[in-house]
Amino acid sequence: MKKKMIAWIMSIVVVMLAIGGCTETKTETNGKNSKTEVKENKAEIKENKTDDQKTIGFVGMTLNNEYHITLANGAKVEAQANGLKIEIQAGDQHASADAQLGIIENMIANKVDGILLVPSSSDGLESALTKCKEAGIPIINLDTKLTDSSLKNVGMDIPFYGTNNFEGARLAGEYVSKNFNKGTKTAILKGIEGQTNAAERYNGFIKGAGDAIEVIAEQTANWEVDQGYTAAQNIISANPEVELFFCCNDNMGIGALRAIKEASLQDKIKIIGFDAVSEALNLVENGEFLATVAQYPAEMGKLGVQNMIKVFQGEKAENYIDTGTKVITKDDVKEFKEYLKTFE
Amino acid sequence: MEIVKKKIDGKLSTLTIYLGLGVIFLVFALTCKILGKNFLTLNNLFNIITQASIISILAIGASLVIVTGGIDLSVGSIVGFIGIFGGLLIKAELPLFLAGILCILAGALFGFANGMLVSYGKVPPFIVTLGAMQVARGLALLINRGQPISGFPKSLGMVMSFKVFGLIPVSVLYVFVFYAIIVVIMGYTKFGRHIYSVGGNINAARLSGVNVKKIIVMVYVLSGIFAAIGGIMLLARLTYADPNAGAGYEMNAIASAVIGGISLSGGKGKIGNTLVGAIILSTLTCGLQIMNVPTYYQTIVTGIVIVSAVFADKKKERQSE
Repeated sequence: MKKKMIAWIMSIVVVMLAIGGCTETKTETNGKNSKTEVKENKAEIKENKTDDQKTIGFVGMTLNNEYHITLANGAKVEAQANGLKIEIQAGDQHASADAQLGIIENMIANKVDGILLVPSSSDGLESALTKCKEAGIPIINLDTKLTDSSLKNVGMDIPFYGTNNFEGARLAGEYVSKNFNKGTKTAILKGIEGQTNAAERYNGFIKGAGDAIEVIAEQTANWEVDQGYTAAQNIISANPEVELFFCCNDNMGIGALRAIKEASLQDKIKIIGFDAVSEALNLVENGEFLATVAQYPAEMGKLGVQNMIKVFQGEKAENYIDTGTKVITKDDVKEFKEYLKTFE
Repeated sequence: MEIVKKKIDGKLSTLTIYLGLGVIFLVFALTCKILGKNFLTLNNLFNIITQASIISILAIGASLVIVTGGIDLSVGSIVGFIGIFGGLLIKAELPLFLAGILCILAGALFGFANGMLVSYGKVPPFIVTLGAMQVARGLALLINRGQPISGFPKSLGMVMSFKVFGLIPVSVLYVFVFYAIIVVIMGYTKFGRHIYSVGGNINAARLSGVNVKKIIVMVYVLSGIFAAIGGIMLLARLTYADPNAGAGYEMNAIASAVIGGISLSGGKGKIGNTLVGAIILSTLTCGLQIMNVPTYYQTIVTGIVIVSAVFADKKKERQSE
């Protein structure tokens, strides 16, 4: 009886796996068919014995937020357009170096030809890098830069494509200095204390805005909507004269917006966010956010694949590419949304 | 007669779990063969055990505690704490061996506090270890002000990545050595029998002269020690210490024990099967990743397997009712 039971359970698992497996292969073949000529051309150029497709492994930080999903999709679209296989995996938790190490080990066992890595932490992946080095698998680093000390320890030189957070926030600051009066009373909601991104966004904004702002309050709201909400409530009741909120990510801005609405101060207080998540773009469109700063995660994925192809063909990959940032206001939000749609 | 029947039950349970592992392997091997992927290679088998190694060590502690009728939720946080604690000791240029001993002592101390509160303090284990989970995580963040630690000497990495005879990863050996020891303790010593008796019927155990309180304290101390060993292994595996490391490991450890047939109501279960439970979990992750099944499905499949395993195991009980 027990054996029967187990057999049942296993058949369920098999079916589930089959579903997962099939969808994958289907998309892969689609990509292959649509671009057969391109692939053949490339195969001719390559002296390689291998007629079969190269496989790229994409190791994401997480796949449970929009930014990272877009990043992965950028790589997926580009890989399929070039007739390459791509395997996308990410840890189930946000910052798990352990999960990423496991994924990389499994990718090496499965003989992927190159790895695009969005590290969960800048210096926590030395073991994983060493394993790739031993297996002779090329890596391209996306989005979050591996630290120089970590690269030195493993003795590797890894290309990096990503944005400069400082630069993006500086652009937002410049936008403020152009559009606001001197000494605008400003509150700043910051990300997790001690994180490089958090510090860069804060410093960039201060630098760009210059004397256009007078910072009357600043608080850490840890990138979260609910904490942004509470922090903004407190700031508004302590400083009712506040005119502008700069929120170091959109989530905190969404929280701040709720607090401002509740205080019926929407006419008086403007909000600028960062990240250009879809909810924030909607808010920019209907005027509830003044602006948000867009990064181009899909570009990182795309460039990663393009340069990995170069490596496969024996050329050298670009060493560093800044994928750029842009302040999105009501004027260009429509255009940006259209662009995003290509990576859904 | 009763005893004979029990023995057969135990064997059946063991059979179920090995069969489960076998079927999962077969499914992956076949599917991967069809998809043209490498699953059934020696290297990959070692990968699976290496990836299971830390959880399986924690699961020893989890199993012991569960056999006494308790639960230990603090082990994941202890893993995180030990990473930072051990990392700081190594950075202070203490020899690895000495740092390891101090880590194990620290783990034992956490376990001792848990055990004392459960046995003498009469606070439910769930609450005690829930508190300890928070305290250990807080300490992990506190002692290095929330910062991770990196840049360790190469020798630390060798603690996990060294290959015996240039072939078998040492992490695989740790697992088998620790399990061999614990299987002997649980199956063939007085201490082992006492642990089962405390979980089976605490009053009967007390009346037959078992020092119940002492046994409970010792079991939590062991759980703390195994958590510390897991913490050291994770630190060496990553050569990186993150104060948030190990979050959720306690659940994987408990799941391994439960898949292995350790009864949450206490007193029952073979500890050797816990290892099979841990290997089943890591086989699932590894196999699904190699097949490139999207992450979202992976957690769903894992959840279904955990419940299914226990469901199959409880069939006997349902029939007798």
